[in-house]
Amino acid sequence: MHIEIDEIAKEFGATAALQPVSLSIPSGALIALLGPSGSGKTTLLRILGGLEEPSQGRVLFDGVDATGMRVQDRRAGFVFQHYALFKHMTVFENIAYGLRARPRATRPANAEIGRRVTKLLELIQLPDIGKRYPSQLSGGQRQRVALARALAIEPRMLLLDEPFGALDAKVRKELRGGLRHIHDTTGLTTIFVTHDQEEAMELADLVVVMSMGRIEQVGKPADIRAKPQTEFVREFLAA
Amino acid sequence: MTLLSLVVLLPIGALLLRAAEIGPAELWATIGSKRVLAALLLSFRAALIAALFNLVFGLALAWVLVRYDFPGRKLVDAAVDLPFALPTAVAGIALTTIYAPNGVFGAPVMDWFGVRLAYTEIGIWIALVFVGLPFAVRTVQPVIQEIEKEVEEASATLGASRVTTLRRVILPMLLPALLTGFALALARAVGEYGSVIFIAGNLPFQTEIAPLLIVIKLEEFDYEGAVAIAIAMLAISFAMLLLINLIQVWSRRYSSEG
Amino acid sequence: MADATFSPMTDSALTLASRPRATRFRKATEEPRWFRWTLTAVVLVLLAVLVLAPLATVFVEALVKGIPAALESLGDEDALAAIRLTLTIAAVAVPLNALFGVAAAWALTKYSWRGKAFLLTLIDLPFSVSPVVAGLCIVLLFGANSAIGGWLVATGHPIVFAVPGIVLATMFITFPFVARELVPLMTEQGTSEEEAALTLGASGARMFFTVTLPNIKWALLYGVLLCNARAMGEFGAVAVVSGKIRGETATMPIMIEIFYNQYASVAAFTMAGVLTLLALVTLGLKTALEWRYADQLSASGRH
Repeated sequence: MHIEIDEIAKEFGATAALQPVSLSIPSGALIALLGPSGSGKTTLLRILGGLEEPSQGRVLFDGVDATGMRVQDRRAGFVFQHYALFKHMTVFENIAYGLRARPRATRPANAEIGRRVTKLLELIQLPDIGKRYPSQLSGGQRQRVALARALAIEPRMLLLDEPFGALDAKVRKELRGGLRHIHDTTGLTTIFVTHDQEEAMELADLVVVMSMGRIEQVGKPADIRAKPQTEFVREFLAA
Repeated sequence: MTLLSLVVLLPIGALLLRAAEIGPAELWATIGSKRVLAALLLSFRAALIAALFNLVFGLALAWVLVRYDFPGRKLVDAAVDLPFALPTAVAGIALTTIYAPNGVFGAPVMDWFGVRLAYTEIGIWIALVFVGLPFAVRTVQPVIQEIEKEVEEASATLGASRVTTLRRVILPMLLPALLTGFALALARAVGEYGSVIFIAGNLPFQTEIAPLLIVIKLEEFDYEGAVAIAIAMLAISFAMLLLINLIQVWSRRYSSEG
Repeated sequence: MADATFSPMTDSALTLASRPRATRFRKATEEPRWFRWTLTAVVLVLLAVLVLAPLATVFVEALVKGIPAALESLGDEDALAAIRLTLTIAAVAVPLNALFGVAAAWALTKYSWRGKAFLLTLIDLPFSVSPVVAGLCIVLLFGANSAIGGWLVATGHPIVFAVPGIVLATMFITFPFVARELVPLMTEQGTSEEEAALTLGASGARMFFTVTLPNIKWALLYGVLLCNARAMGEFGAVAVVSGKIRGETATMPIMIEIFYNQYASVAAFTMAGVLTLLALVTLGLKTALEWRYADQLSASGRH
């Protein structure tokens, strides 16, 4: 799905988290929102997901204004920084949650839910953990379960907030490949937020560098490395 | 530890010893007598009704206090502890005055619906709701405070309506605390004396609670009878304590890191 | 598209129909406005009817014949005796239970030993035992027809129907308050600071007063406040143990009952008003402590 961000701004009280920013994200792209904390990248992601209301501007999904659309109707697969898994449900129930939460008319039959959850567990390469509880999983496994849960609702886009932030370096590298694989398999427009430039450069097709609520530069990883357009980008990459 | 045994264990030991002297047959006969059975049933039933009411009311109040902002919220939050800090006798005479057939709330209810509040079982319910409320609120409130907002957001992004999120995500998370608060309020209410005896009416077989019957038996120097009722109530207390501990063990089953 | 599961949605019910922009944005973590207002209103009305109305009633009934009449009722000889008795009992029972609470919390958190979990449960016991049953236990233990009680009465030191019995009953009831406040806090704090003090050469007693006590002082005060409020207001256990002798073993709550049953409404509610003021001061101090030292009081065990 093609996502168009049109002059979106966000204020929390008196502080501006986002200056008006505009960005066009082509369908099927894998995009990184890169910047230090407080740069507005997570706010932008949450506005796309419908968790935050922009103070001004519009969001267009495939050319249709979706600014005021309810979270529930957006079908944005959202992966939270700390995964936000439902502790009291098994992995299976976590993944099935979005399907079970549908209104009766569009809810798949139990057998169908089971089939889809099994498929998703295979996709994240953890076929045997359906009966476990989140507390019995490693950090990396939790992240993959969160991803499977987001995919279960047949999302139109995938939004990930620091998906590797809570993991140690070795697991991080492994899971990058996992996200790439899932993106390539599903063809979903995927946007992830990170403060780690190596991660952004290695994984994303397109990197959006942000600072102080502004977009500093948008480009392919190689182009940004070769030609940083602003002082901030130059310094941030050097760090 | 010697102090513990002196102050708490020794007196309870005395009760158990006395009960052993009397013998199970005699105890059972007393507990089974109609008046005692009626009192025990009334105490338990009224406590159960009050605790169930507090389960819902306490949850609603705790939710409002944590999640909604309104002027005077901190004051209301402090007021929740009032039933805990207020001596039971004070609560008893104050509640009776209000809910008596000529009281501020009792009179209109009497005029409009023809229902007596004080001096009936309803009066007992009111008193027990009053004393149990802080327990119900204070056990769930911290748990509501600790809910990660992200979990609720995750539920919404997966398409769940707010009602579904509350029912399938938040309620199960609060369940152990809700049950603990329920059990605490129940335990407190079963044994409650001071706030109830003024409002209850104290008619045998109708509004005579078990603790009052102990006092009556004692005043009649019927120690055997008093001991028998006390043993039955102690058994209920222990069952409650056990229940609370079981709930806590059960609630830890998800949180074990492994 | 390797798998049908992930194909773009074709389901017409779920596709992006051009919905009109919602008039008001609602956060995913909030209930609709009408719901919030209704729930808040219902809850506040219930709280007013159940909790605030009785509070107001106490003062209204006490002052219904004016302040002089209320004050005069407090000047009654029996009323004064009750106030003195209640103060005496609190003065004995509260410090003793504070001492025990610190000792028990210390033993429960700084050392590990067998039977610890059992003791932790026992400490809570007075919370779930009916005050009347507690009173009965003490009557059975020290009453004139028990072995200990018989001897004590014979030697001229009766416990039941006398002040010592009231103190014991009060201690039984208020036993857990201090320990319950301290145990979670001291568990959190662990033993590292004490160990540091010991390695620096401090003696056990010195360590307690310079390290442990400062760390727990606010929680201790908080526990003592609750313990005191309950000690002065205890009714059920005292009613059984005291014998309710006017001017001798009638505490303030017992005197309230006596006045009330004699239809001395102003006297009953004035005495109730004094205890209510005490409860309000306790609550005020407790709330002030919670706001100011939230981090030094444990979040759990707030009842």
